[in-house]
Amino acid sequence: MGEPLFSGYDVGQFFDEVMAADGQVRPHYRAVVDRLRALSPEELARRESLRNAIFRSQGITFTVYGEQEGVERTFPMDLVPRVIPADEWAMLEGGLVQRVTALNRFLEDLYVGEQAAIRDGIVPRWLVTSGDGYQREAFGIQVPHGARALVAGIDLVRDDAGIYRVLEDNLRNPSGISYVLENRAAMTRVLPRVFARHEVLPVDHYGAMLLRALRSVAPPAAGDQPTVVVLTPGVFNSAYFEHAFLARQMGVELVEGADLVVDEHVVSMRTTRGLRRVDVIYRRIDDDFLDPVVLRADSSLGVPGLLSALRSGNVTVANAIGNGVADDKAFYAFVPDLIRYYLGEEPVLPNVETYLLWDADQRAEVLDRLHELVVKPVTASGGYGMLIGPDADESEIEAFRKQITDDPRGYIAQEVVQLSRHPTLVGDRLAGRHVDLRPFVISGETVEVVPGGLTRVALREGSLVVNSSQGGGSKDTWVLADSGSEG
Amino acid sequence: MRFDIRYRTVFSYEQPVVESQNVLRACPASDQHQQVLHYDVRTTPSSRVFSYFDHWGTRVDAFGVRLPHDHLEVEATASVETLPRQPMTASPSREDLLDDWFRDQHLEFLEKSPHANGGPQVAAEAREATKDVGDDVVGMILALHRHIATGFEYRPGATYVGVDVEEVFAARAGVCQDFAHAVIAMARALSIPARYVSGYLFATDDAEGADPDVDEVEVSTHAWVEFAVPYGGWWALDPTNRQEGSVRHIKIGHGRDYDDVAPLRGVYLGPAEHDLDVSVTIRRTAQQQQQQ
Amino acid sequence: MLARLAENLFWAGRYAERADDTARLVDVTYHSLLGTADADEERSWEELLDVLHQTAAYAERDQAMVPQQVIRFLITDRDNPGSVVSSIGHARQNVRSVREHVSTEVWEAINAIELELQGRDIAADVDERPYELLSLVKQRSQTIAGAITETMPRDDGWRFLILGRMLERAEMTCRLLSVRLGQLLARSATPAFHDWLTVLKSASALEAYRKSYRTSMEPSHVVEFLLLSPEFPRSVFFALTSAEHQLVRLSPDSDQTWPRRRVGRLRSELEFSSVDELLAADLYEFLDHVTEGVHGVAEAVAATYFRHGPAGMLHLIEAS
Repeated sequence: MGEPLFSGYDVGQFFDEVMAADGQVRPHYRAVVDRLRALSPEELARRESLRNAIFRSQGITFTVYGEQEGVERTFPMDLVPRVIPADEWAMLEGGLVQRVTALNRFLEDLYVGEQAAIRDGIVPRWLVTSGDGYQREAFGIQVPHGARALVAGIDLVRDDAGIYRVLEDNLRNPSGISYVLENRAAMTRVLPRVFARHEVLPVDHYGAMLLRALRSVAPPAAGDQPTVVVLTPGVFNSAYFEHAFLARQMGVELVEGADLVVDEHVVSMRTTRGLRRVDVIYRRIDDDFLDPVVLRADSSLGVPGLLSALRSGNVTVANAIGNGVADDKAFYAFVPDLIRYYLGEEPVLPNVETYLLWDADQRAEVLDRLHELVVKPVTASGGYGMLIGPDADESEIEAFRKQITDDPRGYIAQEVVQLSRHPTLVGDRLAGRHVDLRPFVISGETVEVVPGGLTRVALREGSLVVNSSQGGGSKDTWVLADSGSEG
Repeated sequence: MRFDIRYRTVFSYEQPVVESQNVLRACPASDQHQQVLHYDVRTTPSSRVFSYFDHWGTRVDAFGVRLPHDHLEVEATASVETLPRQPMTASPSREDLLDDWFRDQHLEFLEKSPHANGGPQVAAEAREATKDVGDDVVGMILALHRHIATGFEYRPGATYVGVDVEEVFAARAGVCQDFAHAVIAMARALSIPARYVSGYLFATDDAEGADPDVDEVEVSTHAWVEFAVPYGGWWALDPTNRQEGSVRHIKIGHGRDYDDVAPLRGVYLGPAEHDLDVSVTIRRTAQQQQQQ
Repeated sequence: MLARLAENLFWAGRYAERADDTARLVDVTYHSLLGTADADEERSWEELLDVLHQTAAYAERDQAMVPQQVIRFLITDRDNPGSVVSSIGHARQNVRSVREHVSTEVWEAINAIELELQGRDIAADVDERPYELLSLVKQRSQTIAGAITETMPRDDGWRFLILGRMLERAEMTCRLLSVRLGQLLARSATPAFHDWLTVLKSASALEAYRKSYRTSMEPSHVVEFLLLSPEFPRSVFFALTSAEHQLVRLSPDSDQTWPRRRVGRLRSELEFSSVDELLAADLYEFLDHVTEGVHGVAEAVAATYFRHGPAGMLHLIEAS
């Protein structure tokens, strides 16, 4: 390929989303690649500056909100979209619905059921009772349709064989959906012709989809037109932009804790025309801060009396309280078994191979192979306190060996996954960069998946870290309506 | 033995406050040792009380007063009948404590909790206190109980609500909550499941715990401990008064520590600090006296 | 709308207007004093502080009654909650917490003035070019006002913002009149002419005034114009009429709300007053009366629309 855009492009030893190992462009990418190739470097630069202008005009909101609490980073969108063919998406969609269905079933079983999965030894009791996200205050709180993880974000990666694997479940307050919608809006303006040549499943109905799910979990007494609000910690929260964005998309009020008041176990918002009853709260505040009466007493972000209102069945909070128990790193290892247990099905989407270090046999194997594995503490998040075996020196490995031996329940180990790569614009050339995918799964009366999701890309060469806080960017993610689509 | 109990708390504010929200845990439990015959909660100003049973099985009464008020009175009245307890006859050994199934069933009462989180020194003290009793679990429990009951001084004001158990060990003094937390921390250090019990004690006073010769007493809420004995069930001991659970011990509920069964917790909005007056009256009913 | 948002917007409007008007009051005092005797000058600054309810706060500073010190205190002193800079800060804080409900242009205009003031050598401004500094504040305030008019939809949020602005303006125009009233009425014709000119200029009213009254500088005309004009946007009557209009729109189903009754009463008092009557009686007293009336309206607005708003400090209760 002599054209400048792909000059020097190297697939490496990774699974490349666009190029097969033989250098051929995969069929579902052909139209996109043709279109990109047709753009001169100058033209591409022009599109990039248009993208920057669009994001700056929205980015004002990003940066201004954060100005008094350090640097608010924008999440740059790469111009090369990620494309998922229809048949592949059908498989992913099925696997995501299956996984989230099983997780919801478990949470119901745990908090309002008979804890059958614990009784039957599928999940160890200690793992549940010692989990940070386990909320004893959530016991007995019913959620219509059992939609406890109303919005779930399931992080997927693709290994060196191109197999999609689940890396992590996010069942509390997964964020990022606003980027999915903003990216799509920007893409249709920056590269309209690239976009126009495909039949891409839309994402802009997300607001309606979320609102429908939220209304479906309203208490029965709320009637046909339940009042939904978005509850935010406030303007200083780093995800405030998304909270405001979602409220706007749904056309509902964005409230802070102090805007809500509980009277006779009914929640209302304080308006200029008096108190107005609230039926469903889509909250973006962590569990512990929701109600100072029964949870963290020092919280001023929440609503005093909310939990008694919740228990009375006068209001629904989404996502439900206590979901965190089912999305920590150790619990993750049990999700495939839970799918088999509750649904009687084989998991469609495999986990990354995970070893439980409290099991003596697995521990012995892991201790032998520390230099080739990733070791993660069960409770910490954000990559903190992790051992990446292949990159570690002897002293680090020995330190972890001791920590694991002292506290085998505190750690899990995983095989290293070589994340797939995707051509990404670096200067005026394309280069392979690692990507992951966070699809969003909405549970209400039914379980639905927003087509695509957030593709995060590690912009630094060789980096596996796709987090926005660590130099990550994102890509518009297209799900093609039809497998044969080649433009 | 039958008792009528009146739990009453009055909050007074210098200036009106609003939006008070509270949860009360004052209702006696119904279990194999006692039966609740009647229970009722009222508040002034009046409010709709919503009641439920929490994760630990304790009845919780939630209520709120939204409009401005300068005092809030909560009164819970209960009639309860207590039954004599069987003596502990099981004689498990230390090994039984390590049984996987037994541990799994009592996990939450084996792990450290915010108010019963003793460190290595507490563990060492527990081992020292039980070194002469061998492998007998009942003996170990009694030794721990005796260790705290005789080695710690009952002294109101020595500690405060929410104090760290390490501080209680340093002071070697406190009130019933502290005695309970101290013995729980030691028991858990020896793998003996132990849980905190909140309740009422019909007694002359908190420190002595003697059977009064009158039929009505003014007391405070009380705290004691239950230990899980392999093959023997939960066994109640009251380290503050150096006695076993009795017909005069009226249980409200249990949890990992004080936080799980705090009698009254709430919030309000407003400019003013509050004054607090708590009283508990227990009356032994005459009819039951004759039966005794 | 949410009571918290309404209240924040109301106060954003009040503070933005207060910053503007305080700058005008300082301006009129400063420029009318050029070339007057020291004793007069000191008394004038004292009067200004008095009208702004700042006498005690200034006394605490233990500073001399000289223009630079007073100007600094009233314009740039961040420790004085009534200074222009503080008012802008308060306005910005209020807007910030309702960021979703104001346009980007309004938000940027408020940020711009804050940043601009931070970037200037304020001490030098006060000493060497107070006129420039005061003009800057007035100009930027008009940018904010323009952005509010041009870029915000006429919803309840906008109405609360304007309501706050208009109530503040009514009060501050009363103060503007009373700050120099005594001396102005007492003086002989020629200097008075000059002084009234300055008053009108500070209210950005000179051109509008001339259209109505040409070259006449009768005190009664100036008072009539600033107090009773139905056309001039900075007159007390105009501000109250506009406030009333917002209140009608805020509660379209009820013409008997408490704030409406109060503002209506006050507005009609002005509507049916003649300036000669007012001058014949005690004008000071009347201005005080109007100021108190405006306070009453603000109180009624708070009680009607904000009373369900967030209600104060959270206290914990724990009983054994």
